[in-house]
Order: sequence, then structure tokens, then C-alpha cells
Amino acid sequence: MKIKVNNELQEIAGNNLNIADLLAKNKVEVPDMVSVQLNGEFIKKESFETTFVKENDEVDFLYFMGGGKLS
Amino acid sequence: MTNKLGFSTKAIHSKFIKKDPHGALHMPVYDSVAFEYESAEDLELSFQGKKPNHIYSRITNPTVENFEQKIKKITDAFGVIALSSGMAAISNLIITIAGSGDNIITTKHLFGNTYSLFERTLKPWGLEVKYSDLTELENLEKLIDNKTKMIFFETITNPQLEVADINALSKLTKDNNILLVADTTITPLCFFNAKELGIDIEVLSSTKYISGGGTSVGGLIIDNGLFDWQNNEKLAKDAKKYGPFTLLSKLRTESYRNLGACLSPHSAYLQSLGLETFALRVDKSCINTLTIAQFLESQKKVKTVNYPGLKSSPYYKIAKKQFNNLPGALLTFDLSSKKECFQFMNRLKIIKRATNLNDNKTLIIHPASTIFCEYAPELKAQMGVRETTMRLAVGIEDTEDIISDIKQALEVL
Repeated sequence: MKIKVNNELQEIAGNNLNIADLLAKNKVEVPDMVSVQLNGEFIKKESFETTFVKENDEVDFLYFMGGGKLS
Repeated sequence: MTNKLGFSTKAIHSKFIKKDPHGALHMPVYDSVAFEYESAEDLELSFQGKKPNHIYSRITNPTVENFEQKIKKITDAFGVIALSSGMAAISNLIITIAGSGDNIITTKHLFGNTYSLFERTLKPWGLEVKYSDLTELENLEKLIDNKTKMIFFETITNPQLEVADINALSKLTKDNNILLVADTTITPLCFFNAKELGIDIEVLSSTKYISGGGTSVGGLIIDNGLFDWQNNEKLAKDAKKYGPFTLLSKLRTESYRNLGACLSPHSAYLQSLGLETFALRVDKSCINTLTIAQFLESQKKVKTVNYPGLKSSPYYKIAKKQFNNLPGALLTFDLSSKKECFQFMNRLKIIKRATNLNDNKTLIIHPASTIFCEYAPELKAQMGVRETTMRLAVGIEDTEDIISDIKQALEVL
């Protein structure tokens, strides 16, 4: 399937990729400070393992310097 | 393991976000306005917040970020933004949270410039400011309506030195889904845990204890990550996109960026150094303050002494509970008249006549004729500011030398 990650089109094999896998696959720097949006909606950190991406999804990893790591 | 470390260890040993190429033990001062990129695509992603890079030092800077991260680690906060002053922290926060037609609830017992910000700067832009006695919770609750965005208070009011019950305020704000915002300048980070007491956002002047002895001006907004931003009408839409990052996002990509009240890299460097000796200086100045307050209480020429660490203070018990028995290094005392205050001040040889707190030096000021000089006598009375009061911001000198200085100055009266 095809998804868009931080503006870039990515080809994903299979249908079983969650947000945590996607963060690892994209070697996201300082993941504790990252806010994740799936199709413009915020995804909670505790839902990273259970939220799966699907065809044509748009995922954005956003950094707001000075913050992060959910309590 | 890091979170189990003590305050000073965290302040001294917190790691840099990116490894320094030379292994520097202190984060160097990145006195560079802009940062270069390998490609136009990288620059685009960085502007969109999709790469953790610095673009322009008004928005973020490596030295300032290192300072913010140190504060975040030692406070266990969700997010920290460093600004050019404590007043910048208050104004940036309020402008971000509330707008025209909204209201905030506070007390008139505030730092004089904060009161001026509310009354003379923000009110004309349409912000309603409701004043109450923050120790009277019933009255306070009556003031809350659907446009109320926050209760704002100082953990120890300056210069009245009053202490509100923070747990009670926190319960009230949580029951009503509004923010509890505290100016925590006078209650140092090393012994006061605002997050545990339910304070959502802290604003403070890092010019004071953190700067390491009056070396630089700065401020902090500390988001403790306790508030659900969907409960704030102005930020609810952003909360769907940014969740707990909502305030940081709004500040970093809008109000803080647009207002331009950034901390300079050099000040961030000095304040990072200041953090390393913070706890030592706080301990010494608080011990000095209690000793000096007790000495002043024994002097016949001194009419009243006000310090929450004194058993005679009506706030002694609550201060002891909330501030780990170290209620700051600020005290006030009264003589018979303004004339006597000035005579006393002019005779001091070691203590400096100056307006700051938590310098390494002990400083004295007559608040009514300085910080509050712009206010009419009736308003000063409502603000709890008397003509007979002096404020002593106690430093870390040898206690007996400060007491000797006070003693010889009292002799002139």
C-alpha cells in the first residue's frame, strides 16, 4: 500500500504496520519529543501499537522543541 | 534511572540532545541567528516541524534548547519554553490562552508589573480581569463563568508574602475545567513541586534564582502536562491535532514566534550554569532569611516582620506544608514611617539598594515608592503595599555580616 509520511510517498509491504513500527522504520529522531498526526488528527502515545495505517493515509511526525514524553 | 536522580545531579549531568563534536562539558553558546541546510527539501521539512532542526534563533536555538531540556528534566514537566523575561512568560501565556471577551481570575496582591500588565496592557485589548481574595474559595467560585480561562496566582505573593492553599485552588480549577497558572518565581524548583500540587502551568522569572546571581534576564513557561486542552475553547481545535502538545505548538509556531520574546543564547548559557549551583544557593539564602527575620523580630524599632517561615506568620503552616519548610528568601519589615525607612536604607553599607530577588547579594527596596510608585494611595492599600514597609531579598553572604549591617543602620533611628 501507499502512504504519505512527512510529505514523502512510501510503499509499505502488507497491511500490518502500526505507528510504532512506522516511527522505527523512518528512524525518527528523539521519538519522545514527537507528536504524531494521522490524517490531521493527534494520535496518543499509548495508541501507537494499536493504530494501523491504511492505503492513502497521511502521517506526520512533528517536533515542538522543548516538549514531549507523555506523562 | 535519570528521573530518580536528585535535583543537582540532573542539573549538572543532563545530556545534550545531540552529541557535541568536541565533547564539550558545557553546551557551547550558539551565537548564530540562522542554520544551514543540505537541501531545500530539508529546509521545507524543518519549517513544517517535521525535522528536529533549528531554523532561526528567534524560534529555537541549540543553547536555549539545552537550557529548556535541563528545566524539563529537573521538573519532570511535559514542556518548557524559555523567554526573554518573566514578564514575557506571563504575557505570552495569557495571549495564547485567552482573548478578547475572555476573563481570568486573580488577586490584586501581585507583583506591581504583573498588575500593570493585566490592567494597562491586556484590559484595553478586551481581556476582563476579575480580582478576588484567593484564600476565599466560595467567592472565587462565584466569579467563574463560561468565559473564564484561568486562575492566576503567585505561590508567595510579592511583596505581601501571602500563601494560598494550592491543593484547594487546584481542585476548584479542575472541577471547572479551567487552568491553574502560578507564578512560582519565589518558590524555587528544587524544593517546590508544582506538578504534584496540581498547578497546570508555571510562569517564572529565571532572572532570579536560576540566573546564578543576577547575571541575566530570562523567563520560563513550564507546562506540567496536566490540562486537557480540549477544555479551552480557544485551543480546542488545535487540541484535536496536537493533543498534549497544544500549548507548545501554539506558542512555538504562533504567539511566542510572532511576539519575538526569545531568550538569548548567552543568557541561556549563564542560566544553565546557574542551575548547577541553584540548590546550594537556595539553601543558604533561605537559612539566612529565617535567621535575619528572627533577628528583626527581636528589634524594638522594627514594628512588624513578615516571612512565611516565621511561626508568627499566618501562612507558616501552609508554607511549611507546600514549600518543604523553605519558603523562599524574601521578607518584609516595617518601621514607623517612610522617612525612617529611607534613613535606614541610606545607612546600609553591605546591603544594596536595588530591585531584584535571589541575587547572591542581599538587596533592599521600599516597594511603595518604587515598584508600586505608579499607583494611587487607595489602590496601594488594596494591593497591601504600605509606606512603612521595606522588602529585603536575602542573598548568600555570611549571615552575621548582614545582621551587623542591619544593626548599625537601625542605630541611626
